[in-house]
Amino acid sequence: MAFDIVECPTMTSSNGDGFVGLVLVSHSAAIASGLAELVAQVAGPDVPIMTAGGGPGGTLGTDGGRVLAALRTVDGPGAVVLADLGSSLLSVRAALAELDPTEAERIVLVDAPLVEGAIAAGVAASTGASLADVAGAAEEARGVPKL
Amino acid sequence: MSRSSELTRVRLPATVALHARPAGAFVRAAASFAATIEVQANGRRANAKSILEILALGADGGTELAISASGDDAAEAVADLVSLVAGLS
Repeated sequence: MAFDIVECPTMTSSNGDGFVGLVLVSHSAAIASGLAELVAQVAGPDVPIMTAGGGPGGTLGTDGGRVLAALRTVDGPGAVVLADLGSSLLSVRAALAELDPTEAERIVLVDAPLVEGAIAAGVAASTGASLADVAGAAEEARGVPKL
Repeated sequence: MSRSSELTRVRLPATVALHARPAGAFVRAAASFAATIEVQANGRRANAKSILEILALGADGGTELAISASGDDAAEAVADLVSLVAGLS
């Protein structure tokens, strides 16, 4: 499977291998970029965040090339990937299969609610937590009641 | 060496809610201590190191927080967080 590599917006620049990063994948570019903005506000400016939102040509959907580019270019020693629904996850899985082993070992796809998981992961990353701990923080978000 | 701290009360500044950026700063500060730290507000309890639990407190400006901790650095943790809350802007 071949993907086109496209430019992805990044919300932050990072200090190289400082903080673990986040990749946010959504059917909507607005959801992905709005969430990146929210995470940056809560977690601070030092956590690298890449978004892959929407389908080709600005449609609602997923764009495998954009997901792959985000996985390859996100800063930090590793990155946690959060996706919204159904085919976003399929796009992430397909993109992960395109990575070589050294690229793949720094990426963890987590099973977590998108908004809560991204906030929890972003704040954990901002404390200097390891890739495994940031992924754990995202997945713990499944069990935190809102009310 | 302090294994557990007294519960210490501190009021959020009137204009600062424990949401968004202040909540993130609070959790980052809490995470720098080994102690287990609990915050109570509005009749709810939160683990001070959990951003989602802290946000769920719904602590608006002026809300009184009760902070307690247990662990070797409990006293330092509570003192640091009380000072952080009082100084939020």
